[in-house]
Amino acid sequence: MARKLVVVLAQIVVALITLPAVALATLYIENRDNDGPSVIFPGGELVSGDLYTGPEPDWSFTNEVGTVHLQLEDPPRSRLTWIEESNGKIYVTSDYMGTWLGRLWKHWAVRAYEGDGLAVLRINGVRYERKLVRVFYSPELEGVIENKIEKYNSRITKEAIESGETWVFELAPRDQS
Amino acid sequence: MKLKNYLILLFSASVLVSLSILFVPGLGESIESWMLGFLARNAAV
Repeated sequence: MARKLVVVLAQIVVALITLPAVALATLYIENRDNDGPSVIFPGGELVSGDLYTGPEPDWSFTNEVGTVHLQLEDPPRSRLTWIEESNGKIYVTSDYMGTWLGRLWKHWAVRAYEGDGLAVLRINGVRYERKLVRVFYSPELEGVIENKIEKYNSRITKEAIESGETWVFELAPRDQS
Repeated sequence: MKLKNYLILLFSASVLVSLSILFVPGLGESIESWMLGFLARNAAV
């Protein structure tokens, strides 16, 4: 009798794990080729929206933007991310990079750092061709830290950047050497 | 329930879940909204 109860409980537990896992996998697969990410799942190549050409924009408008779509050219996967502006430059950050699980989760940051960093950014429906350049801590990043704390109530610190727990990328123009 | 029957039932339910998400309009978005709400309520700040 007791054995039967254990078997039934085990079957229920396995179902409670399997069915949500199947749902998550389906949602992930459903989203991966979309024109842009969803709030939770990454998407595919950013296709829609005018491609910006012209002089370097005044990025201060991004202070009013909560999230942006960021796509690497290789692989062409997009995700939703925060953006910080400081001294006329724009930055994105990737947290939890101090652990292998974090680097697995935020693999885009690893790819951007180890690869060519070519990326497309979509803000308010306009696409910008940029290059992700990892920047290490310098006093210049104080503005990024302040902006992220003020804008997103983030717990980012100088120490997190210095230790490699948080990676910071400048979204630099592509023609910048 | 015998193991074979259980596995058939679990597999069928999994296929049903997948197909529902793929073909029922708005279901995927609803699940995602629920997940987002759950994460917003429970994730550590």
